[in-house]
Amino acid sequence: MNPRNVITVILPALTVALIGTTIPFLVGFNQYYVLLALQSVIMASIALAWNIIGGYAGQLDLASFAYVGLGGILATMLMTEYNVTPWLGMFLGAGVSAALAFTIGFPLFRFGIKGVWYALSTAALVVILHEASIMFLGPFDYYIPFVEGWYYLRFRTWENLYYFSLVVLAFVISLNLYISRSKIGYYLKAIREDEVAAEAVGIDVRKYKLLALVTYASILGFIGYLYIVSQRTFSYNTFSGPQSVYVAIVGIVGGLGSVSGVFSAALILKIVEEYLRGFLGGVLPGLHLLLFGSLLIIVGILRPGGLSSLTDALTKKIRVRIQRWYS
Amino acid sequence: MLPSPGLIFQSVLDGVFLGFLYSLIALGLSLVFGVMGIINFAHGDFIMLGSYLVWILANGLRSDPSFMSLATVPLFFVIGAAIYMTIIRPVLGKEPLIQIAVTVGIGYVLQNFALMMFRAEPRAVQTTYLNLYLNLGVVSIHLAKLISAFLSLLIVLGVHYLLTKTWVGLAIRATAYDREVASLMGINVGKIFLLVFSLGIGLTGLAASLWMTFGQADPYIGSSFGLLTWVIIALGGLGGVSGLIASSLIVGIIQSLTMTLVSPTVSLAIPYVVFIMVLWFRPQGLFGKV
Repeated sequence: MNPRNVITVILPALTVALIGTTIPFLVGFNQYYVLLALQSVIMASIALAWNIIGGYAGQLDLASFAYVGLGGILATMLMTEYNVTPWLGMFLGAGVSAALAFTIGFPLFRFGIKGVWYALSTAALVVILHEASIMFLGPFDYYIPFVEGWYYLRFRTWENLYYFSLVVLAFVISLNLYISRSKIGYYLKAIREDEVAAEAVGIDVRKYKLLALVTYASILGFIGYLYIVSQRTFSYNTFSGPQSVYVAIVGIVGGLGSVSGVFSAALILKIVEEYLRGFLGGVLPGLHLLLFGSLLIIVGILRPGGLSSLTDALTKKIRVRIQRWYS
Repeated sequence: MLPSPGLIFQSVLDGVFLGFLYSLIALGLSLVFGVMGIINFAHGDFIMLGSYLVWILANGLRSDPSFMSLATVPLFFVIGAAIYMTIIRPVLGKEPLIQIAVTVGIGYVLQNFALMMFRAEPRAVQTTYLNLYLNLGVVSIHLAKLISAFLSLLIVLGVHYLLTKTWVGLAIRATAYDREVASLMGINVGKIFLLVFSLGIGLTGLAASLWMTFGQADPYIGSSFGLLTWVIIALGGLGGVSGLIASSLIVGIIQSLTMTLVSPTVSLAIPYVVFIMVLWFRPQGLFGKV
């Protein structure tokens, strides 16, 4: 990679992270808003990780919370049961999620399973883990006992965790940008557009799909602990099918393979969700999800390119206007 | 401790009854998938919607849920037609990811609509004439399950007859086989698609009223029905009615045995594990043609 590419990969991520650090100051360290920002940043990171397998490689993966749950619960339980620092636990969680993804993905891609069957097997994976974890964890909610400090990555207030998750977000953004500009990214996009043609020009389809899947799963396994801490509790319901679908909705509404589109979709949907929940949640639970479902249908029918294609069209129009103005 | 043979026999029998109902549900989905190539992830959610409708009607009229099919089937036929016109037709022939996304969106809307209207508690119909048990010594047969299994089989065979012995069925099969040649032969492919999709959704209305004779409605049964029916199609392949019934019975029996022998909480996990295994080793399904 030449230095110019390094700048295009790192600079946007740094900018986002720097803008992000000002938010706690702007909201006057109001814990409600900082927690909201933390949850948005975590959701944006999850959706951007999904972008690698769903957006670039075009495999509709509906198992995101299988990996988030597995990695997160592993790291959390290691901490509560054996006093292992999450700094280690998160990497272990990432490793276990990656191993699970490899175990599932290797045979799936080996036998050429794609499209609807891939989506179904990943949806089934979440249900399998959900039901298996009822056997192991029991039907309880686990609250994390209060511990404090950088050793546990848990604090009295949310700011420190928020700054940490910004670092993770910056990493995921730059990884996305790196992939989109590298050979791997072009291979993955070729696979998304036409798998047979990609294979015909000599791309090892199986290897690159598996690489995308394992990368995605290990990021999610790493984020898992942050997710659980920001939710304050975990249970078998952490392996949530509807949440996994939600991640895919964010990825598709934002635009497959568009980093800025997915990022803004994650933020916008989170803010809309919180707004609707605050005003109508008591009266109409699930209203925001109903709206997101409709949004997904509308995007699917009218604008398969998602949010990013809309902004692309707008900027093009504005550019044409400006050119006309000058000529 | 080994369970008694009577208990195992009982749970296999329950699985068989459940399996016949599954075959009715899977029939609609496999028609839509086989003829139109539409990947419908919202199929189970229509059953969920239907079972709430049946719950309202049956409790309101103080009557048996199975009679409510007289209302749900025509209504769902019309709903199916409306959804085909507005949402499905624009995505015909588009890439699988977009089709899945759109139907996942439909399912999400239905599920959260139900959550909004009825909250998350499970609901059952109070008045049913079929809540009787026939005691046969070793096993006891739940009349509601027996009758819903029988009716499901009857309807599946009826649709099979429609597909194989009538002109409309011939046109549907021709469209499934080759859309373009079928339209050259003077078949109105658009109308066939409309008919097939409405029929598929209409059948979920029937399945919902049969389900409510012994089951419960809650916002999330849709996703488990939806996944299970896809599992059945994966196992059965798109070979025909016999493969469909056989794989439905297999799924029903596995689920019922898991419920008895292992734990009710994993009753979905085991069929899915079997599903993933079958996908790995026999992607064309257990009964599908290569």
